[in-house]
Amino acid sequence: MTSIALRKDTPSAQLEKSQIAFSHVTLDLGGKTIIENVSLDVKPGEFLCIIGASGCGKTTALRLAAGLYQPTSGNVSFDGEPMRAPRRDVAIVFQDYGKALLPWRTAAGNVALALETIGMPKAQRPARIDELLKKVGLPHHAAKYPAEMSGGMQQRLQIARCLAQEPKALLMDEPFGALDAMTRQGLQDEVLSLLDASKATVIFVTHDLEEAIYLGDRVVGLLPHPGRIGIDLKINLPRPRDQLTTRENPEFLRLRRELFDFIKASEA
Amino acid sequence: MNWTLTLWRLASFAVAAGLIALWQLIANLKLASPVFLPGPDRAWAALMRGFSNGTLLEKTIGTLEHMFYGWLVASVVGIALGAMIGSSRAMRSYVAPSLEFLRPLPVSAIIPVAIALFGLTQGMALFVIAFGAIWPMLLATVHGFGAVEPRLYEVARSLHMSRLAVIFKIALPSASPDIISGMRLSLTVSLILAVVCEILAGLDGLGHWVLLSARAFRSPDLFAGVILLGAIGYVTALAMSLVEQRLLRWRTSGH
Ligand SMILES: Nc1ncnc2c1ncn2[C@@H]1O[C@H](COP(=O)(O)OP(=O)(O)O)[C@@H](O)[C@H]1O
Ligand SMILES: [Mg+2]
Repeated sequence: MTSIALRKDTPSAQLEKSQIAFSHVTLDLGGKTIIENVSLDVKPGEFLCIIGASGCGKTTALRLAAGLYQPTSGNVSFDGEPMRAPRRDVAIVFQDYGKALLPWRTAAGNVALALETIGMPKAQRPARIDELLKKVGLPHHAAKYPAEMSGGMQQRLQIARCLAQEPKALLMDEPFGALDAMTRQGLQDEVLSLLDASKATVIFVTHDLEEAIYLGDRVVGLLPHPGRIGIDLKINLPRPRDQLTTRENPEFLRLRRELFDFIKASEA
Repeated sequence: MNWTLTLWRLASFAVAAGLIALWQLIANLKLASPVFLPGPDRAWAALMRGFSNGTLLEKTIGTLEHMFYGWLVASVVGIALGAMIGSSRAMRSYVAPSLEFLRPLPVSAIIPVAIALFGLTQGMALFVIAFGAIWPMLLATVHGFGAVEPRLYEVARSLHMSRLAVIFKIALPSASPDIISGMRLSLTVSLILAVVCEILAGLDGLGHWVLLSARAFRSPDLFAGVILLGAIGYVTALAMSLVEQRLLRWRTSGH
């Protein structure tokens, strides 16, 4: 009896603390309510995808999680502390990679920016830069300027810089939205294997339902005007995921159908 | 591509040679009084003579010094001031309009003030040149700081970069194309003002040399001075655009 009662309250089951927590978050911008009463808990190491129609508030929600916006009411916390400003251990991968890189620095220089700022001694930087560029598949492009790189390479570079921050959480806003299908699938798998190694928590915004299911442990769908949570699905697909078998899994197809219907209903 | 470039080079040399020939012709035909217009031959001879006895070299160095120190002060002060104004949104909106008001003030208006303050001295020249040359850099820096990609400021916030780091690692490099073209413009302004100050204050330099030659009707010497001034303008502008090309390599390297 006692042991069962205790079991119910074991810390690991009930008290696995959330890393990113939204509690009744509302945000008004320019006199309009953009996000309304959103509550959301993201556990450490969880891969959460946010989907929703264009303009429903996905980017805004991500910026709240990043500390780039402060809620009008409610609160956002990270590891139990209120998120008053951006944190170094929360890295943001912006959608417009072209604008988020320093065009006057080479690939190595862009990664170095993060290392300089976290105060890594100069002597240790080159090895770390090599390691990070290798990780994201750019080992031979250290001396290239962003203008000399393709979109996919620039986005890889931005990810490398974010990893240089050694983040506990990675916030990604439609990171592959502007890339072609082949590049996108390649990057999806790279991100999964990178995160497998780093164990960072991820919030990944995308408008691509299949991408969300393929990557995530959980998919949250937003309803528009104002942005609210409309659906919250657990993704019970085996890992490691595989571009062919995962996408053919009946569970994958069922989830895709469910999200598709959700989006259609939300746009109606 | 290279071939057409060579052709253009040849064409511009041909034009220059043609103009010199025309000048020689006019001088030979005495279409203008030789007292006022020496031929290129006599101007060249004066140039050679001036250099062999060292006077022209000295004057050239004098002018280069006036120009360069004034430009240097203008660059340092202009960029620093521009960074101060430009890195704060409030300063940009309050101070920038009054800068736009001050800028079109002709520098000649400031010369009497400078003379009253400093007398006919090197200090006066430095002040006038720096004052006249500061505007392109100051305004380019203010403008460049205002035009920094906002996303980069968010990257800086996410990394917790210090204010100084943001200025030196993000705002200044981002504004550098504007600033460098401002510096090139200022270089020309500095040369002009160096000559003006030398003439007004009798400071040792090509401006003063030209003035004295004109007064003494030594027209070949006058022309030698003018040729040297032209050469200084040309060579410094060329050097500046080489520096620009090198510094802004990241911009042009497309694929
Ligand atoms: N700074 C802002 N001021 C006013 N309205 C904004 C601002 N940013 C976004 N919005 C509005 O909020 C809504 C959600 O925007 P966003 O989060 O970018 O949507 P999504 O990323 O889902 O496409 C849009 O209707 C947009 O016009
Ligand atoms: Mg968006």
